[in-house]
Amino acid sequence: MNNHVKIARVQVDLTQKQLADKVGVTRQTISLIEKGNYNPSLKLCLEICYAVNKTLDEVFWIERESGHHEKNKR
Amino acid sequence: MKKIKDERLILQNLKNIRIAYIIQTLGILGILGYDLVTKGLDVMTENPLWIVFMVTVVVSAFLSMNVSVDHENQEKSSKNGLVLSLLIIIFISIVVGTLTSLSEGYSIINGVIIGGVLLICGLLPVTYVYYLRTKQQSENADE
Repeated sequence: MNNHVKIARVQVDLTQKQLADKVGVTRQTISLIEKGNYNPSLKLCLEICYAVNKTLDEVFWIERESGHHEKNKR
Repeated sequence: MKKIKDERLILQNLKNIRIAYIIQTLGILGILGYDLVTKGLDVMTENPLWIVFMVTVVVSAFLSMNVSVDHENQEKSSKNGLVLSLLIIIFISIVVGTLTSLSEGYSIINGVIIGGVLLICGLLPVTYVYYLRTKQQSENADE
């Protein structure tokens, strides 16, 4: 699952480790979320959004069409 | 050791425990199976592992009722289900009880006891399922 966590994190000048400490998970989890290899719970998504001062929609929203394209590419 | 707060690791931990549980169950089944094959049923049921295994099976059956109640269609009334299951349990306990008291070497008291035990053992899951269903229905009604 694609998301914009990495961009949002860089914009507020946080490292993976700092973001992880802020939202109370391990750095590995943040890394997996950024790569799209882990599906975070809504609660964790909200925590991440609070930490990077963005809305859910800015960080996690993906258009349905682009999602389909992604699937087709794979 | 710190308490794990990371949701991903908690999930991972649960998955690990599940694998350990599967291995443990296979081990218990292996030991009991060995006893059954080499020494027969009576020796197997004397093994304390047998009690461990049966308790685990009963607990997991009760816990899985939580899941199956949510999974089943809600249309049927829980009252009807309760009455039907009660009738079946009473019927089975009476039949088994009478058959036992009629068998050679067993008195009427034995029949009454066995029937009563069956009745009580059947009542527990039936009332539990009834409780879960009514609870679920009242939760649905809140919506």
